[in-house]
Amino acid sequence: MNRRSFLGWGAAGFAALCSSVAVSFGAVLRYLVPDVFYEPPQTFKVGKPADFAYGPPTFLADEKIYVFRDREKGFSVASAVCTHLGCTVNHFQSDDRFHCPCHGSIFAANGAVVHGPAPKPLPWFEVTLARDGQLSVDKDKVVPSTYHLMV
Amino acid sequence: MSRRLSVVFFALSLAALVLMVFAIRQASTPGWKDYQRTFLQLEAQGEPNAAAKAEVLDTPLAIHQVMLPGLQRVDRCTTCHLGVDDPTMKNAPEPFRYHQGLGPHASTRFGCTICHGGQGLATTVKDAHGNVPFWPNPLLPADYVRASCGRCHKEGNIPGVPELTEGRHLFETEGCHGCHKLDGVGGSIGPDLSEEGASERSPQWLENHFLNPAQVSPGSAMPNFHFTRQQARDLTYYMLSLTNQQMGTYYSSFNQIPSAGYGRQLFVQKDCIVCHAVGGVGGKTGPDLLGVTKRHSLEWLDEQLVNPQNVYPGSSMPEFDLDTNARKALVAFLNSATSDDAKAILSGNGHALNPEDAAIAAGSLDFGRFGCAGCHGANLQGGVPNPNAQGEEVPSLLHLSSDYSRDDVVEIIRNGRTPPLDNAKGPTPPLYMPAWKNMLSNEDIQQIVAFLWSKQQKTSDSW
Amino acid sequence: MNFFRDIWNSIVRRDSLSTDKGKSELVFLNVWLHIHPAKVKKEHLRFRHTFYLGFITFFLFIILVTTGIALMCYYRPYPSQAYQDMKDLQCVVFLGPFIRGMHRWAAHLMVICVFLHMCRVFFTGSYKKPRQFNWVIGVLLLLLTLGLPFTGYLLPWDQLAYWAITVGTNIGSYAPLVGGQLRELLLGGHTVGQAALIRFYVLHVAVLPGLVGLLTIVHFWRVRKDGGLSRPLWKLEPKPVEELVTIGAPAEPAALRVSSAAQSKTYGLMEVVTGKPIFETVSPDEEEDTVFAYPYAFLRESIALMGTVVGLMVISILFHAPLEELANPAKTPNPAKAPWYFLGLQELVSHSALFGGVVAPALMVLALLAVPYIDRNPSRRLRERKWALWLFSAFVVANLVLIIIGTFFRGPGWAFIPPWVHVVAGAE
Repeated sequence: MNRRSFLGWGAAGFAALCSSVAVSFGAVLRYLVPDVFYEPPQTFKVGKPADFAYGPPTFLADEKIYVFRDREKGFSVASAVCTHLGCTVNHFQSDDRFHCPCHGSIFAANGAVVHGPAPKPLPWFEVTLARDGQLSVDKDKVVPSTYHLMV
Repeated sequence: MSRRLSVVFFALSLAALVLMVFAIRQASTPGWKDYQRTFLQLEAQGEPNAAAKAEVLDTPLAIHQVMLPGLQRVDRCTTCHLGVDDPTMKNAPEPFRYHQGLGPHASTRFGCTICHGGQGLATTVKDAHGNVPFWPNPLLPADYVRASCGRCHKEGNIPGVPELTEGRHLFETEGCHGCHKLDGVGGSIGPDLSEEGASERSPQWLENHFLNPAQVSPGSAMPNFHFTRQQARDLTYYMLSLTNQQMGTYYSSFNQIPSAGYGRQLFVQKDCIVCHAVGGVGGKTGPDLLGVTKRHSLEWLDEQLVNPQNVYPGSSMPEFDLDTNARKALVAFLNSATSDDAKAILSGNGHALNPEDAAIAAGSLDFGRFGCAGCHGANLQGGVPNPNAQGEEVPSLLHLSSDYSRDDVVEIIRNGRTPPLDNAKGPTPPLYMPAWKNMLSNEDIQQIVAFLWSKQQKTSDSW
Repeated sequence: MNFFRDIWNSIVRRDSLSTDKGKSELVFLNVWLHIHPAKVKKEHLRFRHTFYLGFITFFLFIILVTTGIALMCYYRPYPSQAYQDMKDLQCVVFLGPFIRGMHRWAAHLMVICVFLHMCRVFFTGSYKKPRQFNWVIGVLLLLLTLGLPFTGYLLPWDQLAYWAITVGTNIGSYAPLVGGQLRELLLGGHTVGQAALIRFYVLHVAVLPGLVGLLTIVHFWRVRKDGGLSRPLWKLEPKPVEELVTIGAPAEPAALRVSSAAQSKTYGLMEVVTGKPIFETVSPDEEEDTVFAYPYAFLRESIALMGTVVGLMVISILFHAPLEELANPAKTPNPAKAPWYFLGLQELVSHSALFGGVVAPALMVLALLAVPYIDRNPSRRLRERKWALWLFSAFVVANLVLIIIGTFFRGPGWAFIPPWVHVVAGAE
């Protein structure tokens, strides 16, 4: 009896030990997930509509986006990150296409893959007018290439 | 025996488990989450339908931070102060209320702590407001927040903050430099004030110190200048603005606010009136500038100031090396300038000084600016107490010429001097004449001496 | 399922734990557990023999390495970043204050435990032949254990860190001839700055823990090779028994004879040679006094381990690790104090730089290292070592008194101010 309960308590202790180790492990994993990021936020303001010209898109290097402004349709925002391996694509006015310098992917003006290894078209991001009158881009919200914001 | 040990082992392991769970729970329920939930409720109230309400309430809770490399800080205040840039939160309760009157100072570009103080990195009410040990700059009381304008706008008038201009002026004229260093210039009898605004001394302490130095720091050598309450406040404002912090180029470019006043100053400095008239008053070489801002766009005016040849090839207007803010200020002045301004500017010019008068005027300025007046008095009357120095006070300079030659005085200013003791065994007097040779040029010293000699009074009863 | 049983059997090769063979194999077929003997003497398990201090110290070291690696994920050793990273750990990292607290308090605790462990070993005379060299390794580990928190102290880059290290490294600079150069080598400059921070960081996260790890392995190895734990004082025999020499299984000196309690124990005897044994011998009738390490030793060790963890957790939840304002080389706090375990030295230095900063610590370290070679009295009985005990007690008490004076009785200007007297700060 004494020996049985000795083993029983020991096993219970071992189980408690294992669960506290498991919980601690989970806690450390959570600890490693940062709660603040020292990088450009996913949602950001890019300026007043008047700051953007019609015609060729404006490239914002820090945010890695192209801001298009069309007289009829309004604003749209495309990602400047190649869907292949993450290089920054360049917009060429000569052919109105995006060229990736790394592995030669080419995207049409609407973001569709024209050539090269890129597996997906360039995503378009939601752009809205914030309450303070600035354009606000949300990189977490991908929209179809037909999405436009008329101001 | 062994059974007891097994129970102890079990109990300890269980305790470890419970403590770990407790720590995790504590870490997962920070106070800012409650504030964010309350704010979302508030926002949801304004939404028209249930779907929109639900979407607002679903916003994930997260720490918000404004990264401000140009101001060398990261502010997380907006984690709880969620409505600062949302005008619809004008009547919301704190901490959610909209911050009115920010003008160009959007929270996304300036953060909060550069003006308000406090601990931007912290995320609890107590720590963030900074009234905690080991954080030297707690929130500034509302009365003193405007002093922070001077942290970027280091020169010129700041609209709505006359205290700073007045404080700066007092500092220059009352002779504070005599004892205190500021950005490398000044004496070393008192502490260096270049970073006074970043020290842990509170505004109230500073103000009381200006009213009566001996009361807040007993034994201080600082004389009582008998400042008025308002003057003490002005000086406190000025002190609070002195942080000696490196600002990014964007912020430091606003050293002077491009106001009409600054523009007028530039207009005078650059002698624009020589070529240009305003409303018929002034030079006739260039066009009359009355209403020029109505005739041309701002861009056009700006370009004209940068490179006149670009706008009018063959123009005889010189290129003035003006920065963006200076150009903006000039345009702001021209926007309101009238012939009356031109008359006033013209009448201020052209009273010629002979070299001796110019030297005396410059010396008078230096006498205040470099702090001689602090101890010797703005009228050279002396009289600041200096225990155990001969006469127990700083000497008057009104009768110098009867004891010294001008060269003697130049030497004393250059090399400094410790006052002769009243009682040879007594303590060293707190005030002494510092050596100025490293801070003043020979020319400066000559000018000061010229000023002193212009003020000498003849001793009637010579003995 | 044969498939899974094969995998299990390839990992765990021992017999069932219900058999004695299984219990033995659990220990000596496992790389982590084989540091134990398969069977341990009951007397060694007694708490009041060792207080498990060595084990607790080792376990604190493991906690420090684990939490230290976690902290390294958020810490950048650069003056303008370091303090902000500490603030982030305090303010926005999930469990940041808790993990930092564990690290900080475990470090203090480890210094205390190493010291107490040394006292225990001294008072039980366990440094005597054949364990002299292990004592020397232990003293080296003590010095490294002081070096670890000292180098770690600088990393938060707050006023506490900056001035403690400034004062601490200046104590070292009083060493004759090499003192100044030594300080410059450590700081990578003349004052505590960027260069010092990265050097202290390298020492703290790589060099010193590496050395502690290596020496700990040697320390443990020597414990076994020197004949296992020393006998408790209350078990000392009045006179030595017959000598018997084995090679190949020195940890179980008496095990050549087949034990009735562990019939299945087998030993590969390499050779029998003549000579004197290096370890204590056991009389035949005492051999029954052993138990299997599983579960008896492991249970007790687990209790010591969990007790340490629980204690640390409670402390870390109740008290946050200190973080003062950002380091300011222009503003010396008054008084500027070294970390508490160096305050004894600082107290000595305040009286005489040469004696306190050089002679006393050098003598202390040399004397500690030489203890087993100076004290040639073979007896371990308290009664027969009065001189040694008096001297060592005086050493311990002197250290404690100096540290307590330095910590609690020194105020601004290093003036003697009892802790119950309140000093108004801020008069300038």
